[in-house]
Amino acid sequence: MDLHKIEELLPFYALDALTDEERELVEAYLREHPEARQQVDEMGRAVQALPESVAAVEPSPRTKTALMARVALDQKARGSNQEQASRPWAVRWVNIFQAFGLGAATVAILWAVVLNAQLSYLRTQVATLNEALVAQSHALEQINQQLTQQPAPETITISLKGTDVQPQAQGQLIADPKNNSGVLVISGLDQLEAGKTYQVWLIDASGPKSAGLLSVDTKGQAVLIVTSGETIGSFQSLGISVEPNGGSQQPTGEIVVLSDL
Amino acid sequence: MRIKNESNLLPSRDLTTAEHLSDEILAAQVARGDSVALEALYDRHAASVLGVLLKVIGDRPTAEDALQETFWRVWKSAASYESERGAFTGWLFRIARNLAIDAYRRMNVRPQVLSNPEDIDAVSDRTSDPNTDVAEQAQADFRNRQVRSALTSLPLVQRQVIELAYFYGMTRQEIAEATGEALGTIHTRARLGLQKLREEFEREEFEG
Repeated sequence: MDLHKIEELLPFYALDALTDEERELVEAYLREHPEARQQVDEMGRAVQALPESVAAVEPSPRTKTALMARVALDQKARGSNQEQASRPWAVRWVNIFQAFGLGAATVAILWAVVLNAQLSYLRTQVATLNEALVAQSHALEQINQQLTQQPAPETITISLKGTDVQPQAQGQLIADPKNNSGVLVISGLDQLEAGKTYQVWLIDASGPKSAGLLSVDTKGQAVLIVTSGETIGSFQSLGISVEPNGGSQQPTGEIVVLSDL
Repeated sequence: MRIKNESNLLPSRDLTTAEHLSDEILAAQVARGDSVALEALYDRHAASVLGVLLKVIGDRPTAEDALQETFWRVWKSAASYESERGAFTGWLFRIARNLAIDAYRRMNVRPQVLSNPEDIDAVSDRTSDPNTDVAEQAQADFRNRQVRSALTSLPLVQRQVIELAYFYGMTRQEIAEATGEALGTIHTRARLGLQKLREEFEREEFEG
């Protein structure tokens, strides 16, 4: 390309509107022509002011809430990462078991059996079970009470709490930390508008990983078999966010539940 | 990220303290994982960024999503911002502009500036926000008016080329095709437009 043609590109270089090939040509030219560099810098200063020509628009408060919840989730993952680096695994597990204790293994045996022996069956029947489990919550409570009397050192129950977005939400994750799945039982979730769904995230040092979509009934209750490629014990937190139908690769909407595991 | 004065790089204790720090100091704090600093930057610039996103994308929910993504990228990549290479706002608006152009291309809509080249944003809608600092807003609005005045002083055809290139990321060939003008004409309009814009800014700065 001749020099005149390259000089024609300079305004578009300042406007950042060149193809990659054109940009490379201009940059090579600028390295050898300082006077052209000065010209481009002057145009660049005018271009940098262009966003200021647009009227400001006050964003919805929900955008900031969603952003800061996402940031908080990321901070938790970072914090856990640093903590992991400074604490050996054995010590961490001892602390976890001390924290939750034997009393935390409330619904142990039944769920351990369900998870280990009938997991494949549950997967195929999960939609039916969702309805059945919610409708029979009283029966489940009775079973839970019976289970508290049976020892089950391998399974733990973790309480889950809603964030400021949905403080009334609460639930439990029942799982063996050494297994790759667990049962999530949650209530108090708001009904979502059309096109939205709740998505469950397991969070480790590398960030959130989808653990499934929640189907919430009219009472705001849901049950989900949470599965992951890694053991439940390898995650630091569990979160639930509002996402477009079908779910997202990463959390994009409001975080409604966030708890340490 | 490198910044000359590191005396203010302790984590922001609260938002009120952070609000008095420069963009560049806050960006350095964000790079160290300070979410209060990010919140201060968001409060300071979100409305301007949303204005640009909405201008290009034209759809409020998509623009709000892009706004969240803009500041998420600030959070994740603040360490790559170098204050020696330019103001924080230049870096911020570059992120926003790229996201806006991506969204605009996905939506496959016609740029507003092609339909109504004389249309130019005139009124900010942030005056109703009770949390906005009045003096700060007045200063921003004054600068806003200066830039708009410079832009409106350009002949429509020159402004159209500049806006299509900058806000919509259209190449010169795409602009020529969209406007039905010869490529040479587009070159001339861009060059003259930027030259006049620069002269207008210099004159206003001198007079201001």
